Amino acid sequence: MNPFDRVSQTVMSGLVAQAQRMQVAGENLANADTHGYRRKLVSFENIFDRAADVTRVSASRVALDASPLAERFDPGHPLADERGYVAGSNVNAITEFADVREANRSYEAGLQILKQSRDMYSALLEILRR
Amino acid sequence: MLDDIQLIGLSALRSRHASERLGLIAGNVANADTPGYLARDLEGFEDAVRRLGRSPATTAPTFVETHPAIPGAQSPNGNNVALEDQMSRASRAMRDHETATLIYSKALDFLRSALGRKG
Repeated sequence: MNPFDRVSQTVMSGLVAQAQRMQVAGENLANADTHGYRRKLVSFENIFDRAADVTRVSASRVALDASPLAERFDPGHPLADERGYVAGSNVNAITEFADVREANRSYEAGLQILKQSRDMYSALLEILRR
Repeated sequence: MLDDIQLIGLSALRSRHASERLGLIAGNVANADTPGYLARDLEGFEDAVRRLGRSPATTAPTFVETHPAIPGAQSPNGNNVALEDQMSRASRAMRDHETATLIYSKALDFLRSALGRKG
């Protein structure tokens, strides 16, 4: 496989992984006020595809954040436990936004590399065109 | 004439080196947030040519090295990819590639004019 195809496969796997991460952050933010919701965590792993000689990245399986849920004292609430506390979620909006920012930055970097590889390829084609 | 042909061979290798290098940089950028991932890069073209003794046929750019993190780039999860650093490496690879393709097409022009055709 030529290097430019490898570049685009590698970059594409990175873009897909970052998009998955954004999706998970979006789900967490949407559920920030859901009672008993545990924040979803996604991490990345590096895979070397020996058959295609390509490095890929993929999002790992989604795990749940084990940190304690936020509790609020509200005895009148229908979901309150016997002590009168209502469990909220353990989503921290600031953490999620920081995650989205980082994913966005890495996504743009990937796009930039893709563009560069296209430019390099067209420089090669220019030789044929002469 | 022989020099011309070596010029063609070397510039072709140089452009291949640059594109292989971009492949590694793409891997680094894709893994910019992967825990424990260390950034990789190719051995510099000049070093490879010097080490392998100027014979273009054996200067295949297969020497991958992990390069040291720029200070402060190491994150707590063991990843040492700095996107700015990767971008500067990518643009250097791009420049090298442009230079190489330009030299290659110039060498072809020389051959053409030696054969008496219009470039």
